[in-house]
Amino acid sequence: MTVIWTQNGIVENDPWVSDVTGADAPKLLPLAEALEHSQDNAPFGVVLQPADDARALAPILESVAIVALTFPAFSDGRGFSQAMLLRQRLGYTGELRAVGTVLLDQVPLMLRTGFDSFEVHHAPTIERLVEKRLPGIDLHYQPAADKTDAGTGYSWRRTAILNG
Amino acid sequence: MYRYDEFDHAFVEARVNQFSDQVARRLSGEISEDAFKPLRLMNGVYLQLHAYMLRVAIPYGTLNSRQMRKLAHIARTYDRGYGHFTTRQNIQYNWPALSDMPAILKELAEVEMHAIQTSGNCIRNVTADHFAGAAADEIADPRPYAEILRQWSSVHPEFSFLPRKFKIAVTGSERDRAAIQVHDIGLQLKKNDQGELGFAVWIGGGQGRTPILAKKIRDFLPEADLLSYTTAIMRVYNLHGRRDNKYKARIKILVHETGVEQLSAEIEAEWAHLKDGELKLPGADIAAINAYFAPPALAPRAEGWGELAAWKKSDPGFAEWVGRNVAPHRHPDYAMVTISLKPIGGIPGDASADQMDAVARLAEEFAHDEIRVTHEQNLVLPHVALADLEPLYRALLTDGLATANAGLITDIIACPGLDYCALANARSIPVAQEISNRFGDPKRQAEIGDLKIKISGCINACGHHHVGHIGILGVEKKGAELYQISLGGSGDEHASIGQITGRGFEPGELTDAIETIVDTYLANRTGAAETFIECYRRIGAGPFKAALYNSESEAA
Repeated sequence: MTVIWTQNGIVENDPWVSDVTGADAPKLLPLAEALEHSQDNAPFGVVLQPADDARALAPILESVAIVALTFPAFSDGRGFSQAMLLRQRLGYTGELRAVGTVLLDQVPLMLRTGFDSFEVHHAPTIERLVEKRLPGIDLHYQPAADKTDAGTGYSWRRTAILNG
Repeated sequence: MYRYDEFDHAFVEARVNQFSDQVARRLSGEISEDAFKPLRLMNGVYLQLHAYMLRVAIPYGTLNSRQMRKLAHIARTYDRGYGHFTTRQNIQYNWPALSDMPAILKELAEVEMHAIQTSGNCIRNVTADHFAGAAADEIADPRPYAEILRQWSSVHPEFSFLPRKFKIAVTGSERDRAAIQVHDIGLQLKKNDQGELGFAVWIGGGQGRTPILAKKIRDFLPEADLLSYTTAIMRVYNLHGRRDNKYKARIKILVHETGVEQLSAEIEAEWAHLKDGELKLPGADIAAINAYFAPPALAPRAEGWGELAAWKKSDPGFAEWVGRNVAPHRHPDYAMVTISLKPIGGIPGDASADQMDAVARLAEEFAHDEIRVTHEQNLVLPHVALADLEPLYRALLTDGLATANAGLITDIIACPGLDYCALANARSIPVAQEISNRFGDPKRQAEIGDLKIKISGCINACGHHHVGHIGILGVEKKGAELYQISLGGSGDEHASIGQITGRGFEPGELTDAIETIVDTYLANRTGAAETFIECYRRIGAGPFKAALYNSESEAA
């Protein structure tokens, strides 16, 4: 099972889900292809591998519908830094999706580094996400890419903005 | 010392709950052991040879008596009555049950302690000079900066899945007691020409399979830029550090393969985007953290000078202990006392619950409630009046804590080795014990003088053998233990990596080989003033190799 999850819940009929095939399904293009197709009118998304330089997307970010960052294994944390560069360095405000091996315990960290959608396969993880029982900590010792309030005490601290 | 505010308390409590939830999901099978492993490691829980092991963080090695009593209580209640102080200024418990972990973490939280990031591929416990805030030669106290780094690195969303573990050390004086040149990042506090505080920044040092000394990439980084610059280093490492081979994943390999000039240029380029951002440290925050580390009010105790002289005259044992284990404090009426956890024939770094309680009591009575853990696996009372040294010594004697061997040949660093550790290839503890017994005679030790022996039971080098004046590395060869000896290593401001002497030694030959090395030193030194390491640097490895191996080639 593959679902797309955001903080608003499960996304039905998401066009960018990676196991949807078909002639008219829009495509997540690898970096090199995306740079070539940037003049096309059709909407397109980009999927980066961990070794790709996220900063290379700068010239085409305005025309990109979605950026997906790949986690080939949960231990490969390069996507966290790619996400920070996209959000903070390049000012990307569109959809940023984590694909590959997405662990429940990483989702709160991914949200902090600027991811806002997640392609998830693991049933117990999907269940927890649907129930909105995320295993994160709402107090942070460092600023990141997410929207937070200033924390108490020192300039580097932040607190989560809780929904409802 | 630093005291938690509401934010810190709430954070640690949330972390305990988070880990309890993770343990519950693991026990119910919702997460695989593979996926659980990095989670438990980031909470200090290892699966060892015989049991789970819990490593508790002691940030920059600073403790008060209440915390030490809690460590004693945990040793008594959840373990077998003792704990093991480590080369990262932490404490390890070797026998707790997994099901007790949440309870232990709750107890630790009561005294502002935790086990966060004592393992795993994340930023580990930040270490500092164990004499911080007391040493006469200090430019500034490194602990406030270590504390700022500790906070900033805790559950860092970007840097929790690094290529490999990441260790930061901070020293506050030219005399490096924090071994910064064998750390992923080493920071040396200094002042510039305008008298402003900042850091010399070193990166890419490390031990393990490929020992490399750190390279200096910045001569002066203003203190306000500590977090932004560290972020730049971490980001470049996280994106470009090797992930194809765990033995090549530390930043030292990235520095080596990329070249320090190019890597440092990449770090500077990244930092240019970050330096004026939200990580810039306001002076008020630095001052507020510094205030926690204000030295205790030390009343004049000049009477100690005369008393100390008289006590030393009347008790040679006391005089010997003062000579080895007591160092000058910046206040002339006070001293810094090293409590040796290296009794002759004992296990380096182990302390019983009763000893921990005793140290807590003595810290309250004589030392302004401050205790330090050293990376050499001893404890320190950093603020003791000279006038209190004698009663302190008497009390330490009754608890087996007055061994007068700080810095001597029996003050051995050893990792837990094959007696506990799942990674080890050979035993370390019995090796240390045998050497300690062989050289235990106080006269003989004193004659040999300063000599650091460091023992690791595998190439991961937790026992810091690469920077031992004499380093011992246990390896496995054809199913048997074999020990390689290296000479000339040093972890101070004149850091060097030891060189292997030649073929290894079987367990039964090793202590004799160490004795041969020591005898060679004694025969070659210019006098008692020339220490082992100075002598080695003057005469080189040749005479030592000849003494170790020539007799056998003659026999053959």
